[in-house]
Amino acid sequence: MALLELNSLSRNFGGVLAVDHVSFDLHAGETVSVIGPNGAGKTTLFNLITGLDQPSSGTILLDGKALTGLRVDQFVERGIARTFQHGRVFGNMSVLENVLIGAHSRRQAAQRGLPFIELVRELLLALWPSPSVAAEEAQLRQQALEILSLFGERLLPRLQQPAYSLSYANRRRLEMARALASQPRILLLDEPTAGMNPTETAEVLAFIRTLKTRNLTILLIEHKLSLVMELSDRVIVMDNGQKIAEGKPHDVRNDPRVIEAYLGHPAPHPSPSPFSAETHFHTEGTTTS
Amino acid sequence: MEDFLRTFFDQTVNGLVIGNIYALTAVGLAIIFGVGNLINFAHGSVYMVGAYVGWVCVTRLGLPLPAAFGVVVVVCGLLGMLIERLGLRSLQNSARIAPLLATIGISFVLDQLIQLTFTRAPQSFPSPLPNTRFPIGGVSIGVIDLLIAATGIGSAAVLYLFLRYTKLGWALRATAQDRDAAQQMGVNVNAVNQTAFAVASILGGIAGMLVGIYFSTVYPTMSFQAGLKGFAANLLGGLGNVPGAVLGGLLLGLIESYGVSLFGATYRNLFAYAILILVLLLRPQGLFSRQRQAPPEPLTGTFVPNSKPIHVPPWAIAVAAGAALLLPLFVANPYVLQVLTNAWLFSMIALSITLATGTAGQTSLGHAGFIAIGAYASALLTQRLGLPFTVALPAAAILTALLGTLLVLPAFRLRAHYVAIATLGIGEIVNQMILNWDWLTNGVMGISNLPPPSFFGREAVRIQDVYWYALALLGIAALIQWRLVRSPLGRTWRALRDDDIAAQSYGINLNRYKTLVFASSTLIAGMTGAFTGHMYSYINHESFTNTISILGLTMVILGGMGNLIGAVVGAVALISLPEFFRVLVDYRYLVYGLTLLLLIRFRPQGLLGTV
Amino acid sequence: MNTTTPVPIPTAQPPLLQLQKLDTCYGAVQVHFDLNLQVHPGEIVCLLGGNASGKSTTMKVILGLLKPRQGTVTLDGVNVTGWPTPRIIRQGIASVPESRRIFAQMTVQENLLMGAYQRSGWATFWPPATDAVRTDYEQILALFPRLRERLHARGGTLSGGEQQMLAFGRALMSRPRLIVMDEPTMGLSPLFVDRVLETIQTINQQGITVLMVEQNANLALQIADRGYVLQNGRIVLEGNAADLLHSPEIQDAYLGQATS
Repeated sequence: MALLELNSLSRNFGGVLAVDHVSFDLHAGETVSVIGPNGAGKTTLFNLITGLDQPSSGTILLDGKALTGLRVDQFVERGIARTFQHGRVFGNMSVLENVLIGAHSRRQAAQRGLPFIELVRELLLALWPSPSVAAEEAQLRQQALEILSLFGERLLPRLQQPAYSLSYANRRRLEMARALASQPRILLLDEPTAGMNPTETAEVLAFIRTLKTRNLTILLIEHKLSLVMELSDRVIVMDNGQKIAEGKPHDVRNDPRVIEAYLGHPAPHPSPSPFSAETHFHTEGTTTS
Repeated sequence: MEDFLRTFFDQTVNGLVIGNIYALTAVGLAIIFGVGNLINFAHGSVYMVGAYVGWVCVTRLGLPLPAAFGVVVVVCGLLGMLIERLGLRSLQNSARIAPLLATIGISFVLDQLIQLTFTRAPQSFPSPLPNTRFPIGGVSIGVIDLLIAATGIGSAAVLYLFLRYTKLGWALRATAQDRDAAQQMGVNVNAVNQTAFAVASILGGIAGMLVGIYFSTVYPTMSFQAGLKGFAANLLGGLGNVPGAVLGGLLLGLIESYGVSLFGATYRNLFAYAILILVLLLRPQGLFSRQRQAPPEPLTGTFVPNSKPIHVPPWAIAVAAGAALLLPLFVANPYVLQVLTNAWLFSMIALSITLATGTAGQTSLGHAGFIAIGAYASALLTQRLGLPFTVALPAAAILTALLGTLLVLPAFRLRAHYVAIATLGIGEIVNQMILNWDWLTNGVMGISNLPPPSFFGREAVRIQDVYWYALALLGIAALIQWRLVRSPLGRTWRALRDDDIAAQSYGINLNRYKTLVFASSTLIAGMTGAFTGHMYSYINHESFTNTISILGLTMVILGGMGNLIGAVVGAVALISLPEFFRVLVDYRYLVYGLTLLLLIRFRPQGLLGTV
Repeated sequence: MNTTTPVPIPTAQPPLLQLQKLDTCYGAVQVHFDLNLQVHPGEIVCLLGGNASGKSTTMKVILGLLKPRQGTVTLDGVNVTGWPTPRIIRQGIASVPESRRIFAQMTVQENLLMGAYQRSGWATFWPPATDAVRTDYEQILALFPRLRERLHARGGTLSGGEQQMLAFGRALMSRPRLIVMDEPTMGLSPLFVDRVLETIQTINQQGITVLMVEQNANLALQIADRGYVLQNGRIVLEGNAADLLHSPEIQDAYLGQATS
């Protein structure tokens, strides 16, 4: 059974279908990329999968169970974590605190219980942490440090610095660390390398490879197609809200519909086609491998 | 039957006349909101200034009414342009809620300037109009009624012609619809903003003057009600919707007028606040807007600028606390001790506000209401149930936490500055309840002869005892809050503040943590209220006015949002400094307003930095 | 529609618009790196590039909506870097903004007249103050007969294609020397895309210089004289439209080159 299953998912914004009957599966351990030109509906799709937005029709199934009607925060509890396109770190909080927020829904004190009692309990546990809560907090801190160490010396020396003082690339790294702290089953990365230079991009590539070797299921939106080609097991192409192609990276790259989506619909008038896609991709294919 | 019809007709005329005033006020707010994306809290003050300018012209200078009109137009127009300069243009690069806070500061300053010039006392405004009444059927209409109606219709017509046929009017409409596109057509949006403020302030000023003539009186505190009612009318018609504001104003006038005749005059103000809250919750787009969704958030974000807080070493805190504790042993001057006691109590208020506003980003302008709940709860528990103060104080605090959270609960779905307005309305509703629930609160009379604060039978008879009790309470509140904010719960609150979308996406249930923060914050507010009530031994509906909420917020900004030591420093500074520099005592509220303005502009992170 | 014959870059004339060594940032993110671009009088120049390549930011910088960190924007020899938008507009630039940005609550007629904002006297706005504005107004309605039919409809009720026509008409009302367009074909049906391209050519034939930002390279290059290709904030390709149209490198710029 697929880990995540989208069934004919649509999102209608005042008559415009930002996501138009999109269906696909995501299997455990896979890395799947969603690509497409601006306005293709990729981020809207992410918002639907993470519960920030509700589909107009269609369903999302996790482990065969529909996620319909859940609040956003309950999506995380079920193992879906994300990063944001423009990076949404908590600016006034330290690097360590940002990562700890990622682990929020795993904390004892944050668990649901009897109405009202659960609130009093959380307040009291904040005032006088029980030994087990204190131990848990220490353990979460330890885990946060382990996650941060995945980025080498990028974030570890800056543990107590407020996130607003980080460089852009470090903020993106921090977002990924925060998402990992929730111990997700599926990680959604929305343009993790946007605004990064080639060196930083290469680092992210290596990082996602590490995650892959740990068998994490990843759904990726990315514009740097070279990265997509290297990382993805499968690629899904969107244009105008629709899924226009799906397949192995290499096949998708050679798909004329994909090239059309990116470079424009061919001119309605006869003109010499400037793109001999095959030869071009062929040459690039050899350089990538 | 005929009596009923006559009353109905009278109330309708009354409602329409007052509604015209509300409409004039609301239209101004709508224009400013449309163009500047700003809820102008200083609008009520402009209205009040208009009333006073008219009053001075007519009674002191003996000018004829048309000339007085002209002076009001000029003065209020210039005032509007000045507000735009100070409150909006100079803050273009600040946090988006900064202009809103700045207009609160400006409003404070204007109110104080008028009070200092003309005293707090209401001034009689003898009508310069002939006293003729025109009979219609069995009832009659006065000249002032006709004047107000004519002004309302005339202003609407002039405004329509201005928007429809002048270049500036076009620019104004275009800017309201799409600021960037207007700029790309060559519109100077700064000039447009200034025009919008001028036009709005002229309308507000005229409304104020007419009200002065209508009720034959002007007084400095008329500004707050006027601003809030104008806002309610504007909201009713759809924020920023000019024709909607006119309809909203007339409707609010009618509702009030009929409501008063059904329930009694003391309920007059309740309707506006009830409408304010109901519309915010049920139909945020207003009655007359077709869009199904609320207008885009005009001023999102909290006023918590990025900063590194100044680290205060623990020994310094210990030394300061020790000094405060030992002070009464060395200083016998009761005046000094009373001022400092006030400072400790205001520190608690500031702590309470900074927990909701600074730590969790839920800007509250209604904490005075929660303090009042605490005071009344404790007063009633000791007087009616005979509970000792030692029990009544914590019970009152818990009651405040429960009631306060329940009152704010419906507003949880609102974001950013809408929270500020909803809490402002909630605070006023509490005030109105206290005024009207005679059976419980003794209404206007208030509750007197409260026993002095006493813990475990030790009554605070001397000022020193009161001082120590207040200081001890502050210590307890600060300790509780300190434990909370540095716990994982505090971390969660700050995540909610910094980015509520991201917070939700990481598993934070917003409602749960808003509940927790308002419960904790109102607990401390209730505790403060309970103590204050017993300290003064008398409370009524005017003991805890909105000024306290704003002053508390100013203290919080002064110390640094979310900063506990900052809250205490801010409170002590604002309470004691004017007292000890005797020259300032008369001007203290002016100082507060100016402090708020200067902070927002030049040091938004406060003295000690935000946490 | 005919494919324009490649025009040699008219070096004799000074450029109408020149961007030199532009570095632009949004907060911590640098969007432009040493961007250089020229537009000569009478040209149609297109600025191409994939997602997030910095195209729209270029428009914002030209219009003064965003100040570059470094570098200059020169209009007809005058350095206008850092000028407020209305002042830049007054130099004879008109804008067709991204997603058109029609004044939704104003009628078609009002939208058009807003375009002539800079040319109108301060008092009355309708009827148009000067004969020149009135003449232009009639000409534009003749160019876009569909707009005449919907003259009193609110801008927001127009279809995407009609809004695009209105945006063009509004821009023309200011009698610009240069029109800058941000993705004029975005979100339009193929039929309308054709019309838009024809219109751009018509506008250009009337002597108005055009700088258009487009993602749709195949289309834009058909009507343009020259093109620039942006990738990650850098100009990676520039040249005659015909050459670019046949260049295999353009695909690299869009789909990305291998990093390893």
